[in-house]
Amino acid sequence: MQSDGDRNQKDVVNRLPDKKIVFFGGKGGVGKTTLAATFALRVARRHVRTLLVSTDPAHSTSDVLESGLGPEPKLVTAHCWAMEIDPEREAGRYIDDVKQSIAETTTPRLLEEVERQIDIARISPGSEEAALFERFTHIIEGSVGEYDTIVFDTAPTAQTLRLLSLPELMNAWVGGLIKRRKKLNALSRMWRNVAGAAAGDEAHGEDPVLQTLEQRQNRFHRARQILTDARKTAFMFVVTPERLPIVETERAVAALEKYGIPVGALFVNRVLPSSAAGEFLDRRRERETEYLDRIERAFGSHPLYRVPLMDSDVVGVEALLHLSVTRSGAGEVI
Amino acid sequence: MAPYRSAIHREYLRQRDLFLLLAFSDLLGVPNPVAFYTLELYPELIEQFHEWHLRLGMPQAPEGGFKCC
Repeated sequence: MQSDGDRNQKDVVNRLPDKKIVFFGGKGGVGKTTLAATFALRVARRHVRTLLVSTDPAHSTSDVLESGLGPEPKLVTAHCWAMEIDPEREAGRYIDDVKQSIAETTTPRLLEEVERQIDIARISPGSEEAALFERFTHIIEGSVGEYDTIVFDTAPTAQTLRLLSLPELMNAWVGGLIKRRKKLNALSRMWRNVAGAAAGDEAHGEDPVLQTLEQRQNRFHRARQILTDARKTAFMFVVTPERLPIVETERAVAALEKYGIPVGALFVNRVLPSSAAGEFLDRRRERETEYLDRIERAFGSHPLYRVPLMDSDVVGVEALLHLSVTRSGAGEVI
Repeated sequence: MAPYRSAIHREYLRQRDLFLLLAFSDLLGVPNPVAFYTLELYPELIEQFHEWHLRLGMPQAPEGGFKCC
């Protein structure tokens, strides 16, 4: 006999057969972590090697899966690994790398002061999200052959949208620097040609600055290719039938379309179950019906799934696998 | 030095300074959205910055910029 959980799982997963990279987003507190974990577990149950990546410094994924997760993938259950990355720690790691390479190439005379300067960058705005993005691309590139599907449980909407728009913005900026640098290198060659020995030991040969910038640009380019590839990538939204989460998700979906990032499906979480009765809940349900209609109107072109409000917390692998996730519309129960 | 040679040299130095400015504008208080990524250019450009302030006649690095010395 097949349980509801089994049948639901097949539907949700079968509709996204070839997705390699799945993001879960939505307003804070709507249940992103729970649904990202549910999704990852159900994909993994089909013997697909799955990695769940959380960027929440509050360690909610550890709590939901009842497993102490860290910055490296840990096996949670068959075929399912999970990890939690901490943006602050990632920024620190990147900066330590830079310091390391400075120590190798800079004269000791400069070292101490330069390190002081670099520590300022650690706390400058944007450094954590840049580091996070850096780690995302590392995980995606490094996981080829290791995992078949990667599920990212992202931070609340605004931050995530900024993160996903990074490659486009950064690419333009780094592209400008590269153009300048090439012009400078052309001038440098001219100067060496006319000056001969007078140019002294001015830099010549491969320009390490240009190489670094070009490597950087290539990575932005690859990240953007992955993010906008509808065959491989999908962005899932979790929304509750309430006004503010709906409004925020409407804006987010529009923003993703602008950046060309494909929306996979929406999960409507905490829908009142029909078994919930009483005057108070009936009134509540009237409001909810209006919001569910609004969700249908706003997002009906994407697959919509409903997840009921539960009478207890959904914690642990078993509970997540049994959470009811149904396709809404046409009364279809899957 | 022939005039055309010094003109080329001046232009070269000017472009080099401009590149420093673009890569590290945040050090002078001009927002730079890629400041985090240009950090990795520090190791290559720190010596140039040092040359730059010596060329300006400043024996020590100016306040607010690279503290190369």
